[in-house]
Amino acid sequence: MVGLSIGEKHFIQGGIAQDLRSDGRKRLTTRPIYVETGVISQANGSARVRMGATDVIASVKAELGRPNALQPDKGKVVVNVDCSPTAAPMFEGRGGEELSAELSVALQRCLLGGKSGSGAGIDLSSLVVVEGKICWDLYIDGLVVSSDGNLLDALGAAIKAALSNTGIPKVNVAAGASGDEQPEVDVSDEEFLQFDTSRVPVIVTLTKVGRHYIVDATSEEESQMCLAVSISIDRQGHICGLTKRGGAGLDPSIILDMISVAKTVSEQLINTLDSHIAAAEAGEEES
Amino acid sequence: MEYVSPEGLRLDGRRPMEMRQIRADIGVVAKADGSALFEMGNTKVIAAVYGPREVQNRSQQLNDSALVRCEYTMANFSTGDRMRKPKGDRRSTEISLVIRQTMEACIMTHLMPRSQVPLLHLGELFLHECVVCSFLSLVSLFFQIDIFVQVLQADGGTRSACINAASLALADAGIPMRDLVTSCSAGYLNSTPLLDLNYIEDSAGGADVTLGIMPKLDKVTLLQMDAKLSVETFENVMQLAIEGCKAVATYIREVLLENTKQLEYRRGI
Repeated sequence: MVGLSIGEKHFIQGGIAQDLRSDGRKRLTTRPIYVETGVISQANGSARVRMGATDVIASVKAELGRPNALQPDKGKVVVNVDCSPTAAPMFEGRGGEELSAELSVALQRCLLGGKSGSGAGIDLSSLVVVEGKICWDLYIDGLVVSSDGNLLDALGAAIKAALSNTGIPKVNVAAGASGDEQPEVDVSDEEFLQFDTSRVPVIVTLTKVGRHYIVDATSEEESQMCLAVSISIDRQGHICGLTKRGGAGLDPSIILDMISVAKTVSEQLINTLDSHIAAAEAGEEES
Repeated sequence: MEYVSPEGLRLDGRRPMEMRQIRADIGVVAKADGSALFEMGNTKVIAAVYGPREVQNRSQQLNDSALVRCEYTMANFSTGDRMRKPKGDRRSTEISLVIRQTMEACIMTHLMPRSQVPLLHLGELFLHECVVCSFLSLVSLFFQIDIFVQVLQADGGTRSACINAASLALADAGIPMRDLVTSCSAGYLNSTPLLDLNYIEDSAGGADVTLGIMPKLDKVTLLQMDAKLSVETFENVMQLAIEGCKAVATYIREVLLENTKQLEYRRGI
């Protein structure tokens, strides 16, 4: 994937050990983040997030569906990620499928909580139109356009931005339908409801290279990693999900240390993201 | 259904011979060797070019020219209703093929035949990929050029948009070409020739002519049509499509020129 010589590998590892990475950042500094919302006009909400050379698009589409019989008071959310071959030739054909699946599952875990949906960042019960009969199905699609490391964090940020950009049409249910009949609905094309996205978490991935860990790794740095821990944290500082990747083992005490570091990083990330989202929304309304 | 109103306006308010707004941007994928974004109205595509680089699949190598490959993919959110199709369905494969053939016609593949490179000039990384062929440490390299097009939004004319984007991306990658290839579609509805059909007009069932030309050489490299037309009408529709392609070519040239000026400026020439 990334072809590095022995000298380059030493340079990257040595830089991380001395807290001065090859692009001049410190270990816990992120790259500047750029957010653009409303990039896909056909979707209910969309956003494009760029961090260095990493470029991802997230879109949210809402469709009317039937709630799960076991959870009649909850809507459904599906997260799916695709890796475009434009990002790297190795994603050609079915080449990107493994990474796509890994990212989709990690995002699902980080954003939607467990099977019961109790830990979800999105309020699933707000998606219900008629209990047990009609609900909104949210399809969240991520697309990796250009890849330079830290895809999961970028996708998490893009999904958060896309959700805050999402308008769900207001639905008027015709009265009179009773029993097992599916009630008739009238989807408004003028009135939209906005989501409360303040509880949607952000994802911070800490990548361990050598004896130290870094945030927002580039693909060169990722190629040198022994393991990575992705932690999703919301505004209140609650941990909403955790994923560990990579083969190496990890001392349990370091995990707790990583979590507290991720917490401070996530606060900065949430603040920058919120101000960018607000700026992007304001810019969109003007134009 | 009425696609052209009595006042001579189309559903989206254009005149019959008017194109949608086009916009292009170069260098949108940082890691690719060449890349471009191309928009025709609501249709939005990204093309990325990787290469010339060594052939990845040895069985595909060509002895006398570089290998050109192309893959067309649509994002799940690109269409009005969310689509859930497996990768590599028949339509995508056909479009990939069409784009590849069109671009092959303009790339000077014969300039990149199998070449013999002294071993010293290659990084140690390449060693295991190449065949050491003589005592003089000469290595044989076969080249391939990959074109990847990704549809972000589809609203008719994706083929044309993809070809235009691919053309720009190839130019950005600095790959030798005979000429730019530009493409545009034209159709015939309500006894009026229409330029640059959008999705609604495209699915109306009238004729749809997709044309690709090399504007400087004045040669047609792509021509596709469905439905039937009389010969006279076809001439008119095709002439309209040619005009469209030329307009796209003028715009693409402007974008490339502007990009080159920017590069010059950054280098301080």
